[in-house]
Amino acid sequence: MSPASRKRPPVELLYLAVLLAYPLLVYPEDALFRLTEISIGMQLTYIFIYAILALGLNVVVGFTGLLHLGIAAFFGIGAYITGILTVPAYPFQLGFLAALALSTAGAALLGVLLGAPTLRLRGDYLAIVTLGFGEVTRFTLRNLEEITAGTRGLNPVPAPSLPVAMTVPLHWLGIEPDWSLDYRLFYYLALGLLLLVVVLLRNLEHSRLGRAWVAIREDELAATCMGINAARVKLSAFALGCGLAGMAGCLYATTLTSTAGPDAFDFNRSIIMLCCIILGGLGSVRGTLLGVFLLIGFDNVVAPILDGLIQGADINPSGNPLLTFSNWKLMIFGLALILMMRFRPEGLIPSVQIEAEMTKDLPGPRGIRAEAR
Amino acid sequence: MPALLEMQEFYAGYGPIEVLKGISIEVRPGEIVALIGANGAGKTSTLMGISGCLRPRRGRVLWESQEIQQLPAHEIVRRGICHSPEGRKIFPRLTVLENLQMGAFSRRDRAGIERDLVHAFELFPILAERRTQAGGTLSGGEQQMLSVARALMGRPKLLLLDEPSLGLAPMIVVKIFDVVRKLNQEGMAILLVEQAARMALKLAHRGYVMEIGQITMVDKAAALLTDKRVQDAYLGE
Repeated sequence: MSPASRKRPPVELLYLAVLLAYPLLVYPEDALFRLTEISIGMQLTYIFIYAILALGLNVVVGFTGLLHLGIAAFFGIGAYITGILTVPAYPFQLGFLAALALSTAGAALLGVLLGAPTLRLRGDYLAIVTLGFGEVTRFTLRNLEEITAGTRGLNPVPAPSLPVAMTVPLHWLGIEPDWSLDYRLFYYLALGLLLLVVVLLRNLEHSRLGRAWVAIREDELAATCMGINAARVKLSAFALGCGLAGMAGCLYATTLTSTAGPDAFDFNRSIIMLCCIILGGLGSVRGTLLGVFLLIGFDNVVAPILDGLIQGADINPSGNPLLTFSNWKLMIFGLALILMMRFRPEGLIPSVQIEAEMTKDLPGPRGIRAEAR
Repeated sequence: MPALLEMQEFYAGYGPIEVLKGISIEVRPGEIVALIGANGAGKTSTLMGISGCLRPRRGRVLWESQEIQQLPAHEIVRRGICHSPEGRKIFPRLTVLENLQMGAFSRRDRAGIERDLVHAFELFPILAERRTQAGGTLSGGEQQMLSVARALMGRPKLLLLDEPSLGLAPMIVVKIFDVVRKLNQEGMAILLVEQAARMALKLAHRGYVMEIGQITMVDKAAALLTDKRVQDAYLGE
């Protein structure tokens, strides 16, 4: 990050403060719920989880330039590892933290196993392999009924237990934490983990490893000539990306109290995540967060509200499918992406390098920033 | 004096096509060696073979008397062979400064890197002016300078230069060759692949002539310049 941009007031901190304060104020959540019949807090929790997933994908696709079309599989693997380790049907019944660590590590390991033989493939071919792996994983989860319970999924995934250091003071305050009734516990858990991931990626981005990722994306041969071990660097990006997806999967299963069925981790999910990071800005952490907020927010909050409005207004008594908003959702989605590609191909908040490539505006903001230095 | 780099009977190719058919080349300390030849002779592949980007089918590469042909490319950089590849291959979306920092990727001595950065900017002042600009926005000549400067950031003992004159105005080429001469005077060995044979031979101490995967002549550069066959084939007289 350039010194000039560091001087700007940190807008992110403001957003963070709002997100931290939102559940504590209680009133906005209640008011919004009465208005929309949707728990915005719960939906924000899912947005945080998908943000972790998207940030993982962004390491692979955005930073390192490897087109990964099967990230949902690793999200699912994380969820199912958590399921196996925690549900009563299995003898393990580990705590949340252990499940979180093992889901992350397990997904990362599988990422390495998939990546080691295939990362020498270029562009399209790697995309096909990851796409295939995604579908294979889904069908494996479905057909391996003895282990995964098939389409029913594994449940119930128990809620995490708070450490005594937290329950005791909460008890004094008269709060008895109940994970199934109070969304705020998952909310803060997901937000906290998301924060950790963002800080980790921000630091990695400017580290030696981060620069090596970007160099590989820019030109692999040149990167090799610079003394970068391309195979290992690509594998590390793959491991981290898949690991973060696994972590998100664990959170997802815990929040949902179930692994959901295998179809929750299909190709669609991978593509939506890809759309999020392309919309927000490939290779940019802030862009990824914005992309997830807009797309998942649209999908999970705006669309149901509009559906409700249409129904409430009694325009559609006969249930005509053309008159429900959800059926137009994907078209709007596609239109938005086409418009993006036409007018702002570098994304809403692009990474500095990709912006430079796409716009080549020398006297533009970068030039001004350089002078200010 | 023992050779710094020795390529011995090096065979390599791509799939069914054998491109290098028993190449033997040596570079001694402090030397500029020119490798000239027509398109498709295998000059670029020879450099790729040295820097570890192309694996040999047979033959050896000795660096300071040790075999390196099986080492991965990033290890070879670490031993002091840096490659400015054909077509410059700068990182278009990274700034000039970031490109140069990438060149020092294999090093960890911050103070030394900082010194070499200053030195690179002395050699190519235009790069200092453009340091915050994205590499892809530089002119062809500036990109070539960046490519050379980036290779220098690895602090090479041997610099592999692939077609630094490619597509550049003669004035710019003269500038780049001046820098190459200066680097050599500072003690760096240089292996220069060029189609601009006359300029390359004027700059070099020795030269090799390459034809369809084989070395056909080797001599002092001055002798090659006056050789009838070289003149006819490569110097356009």
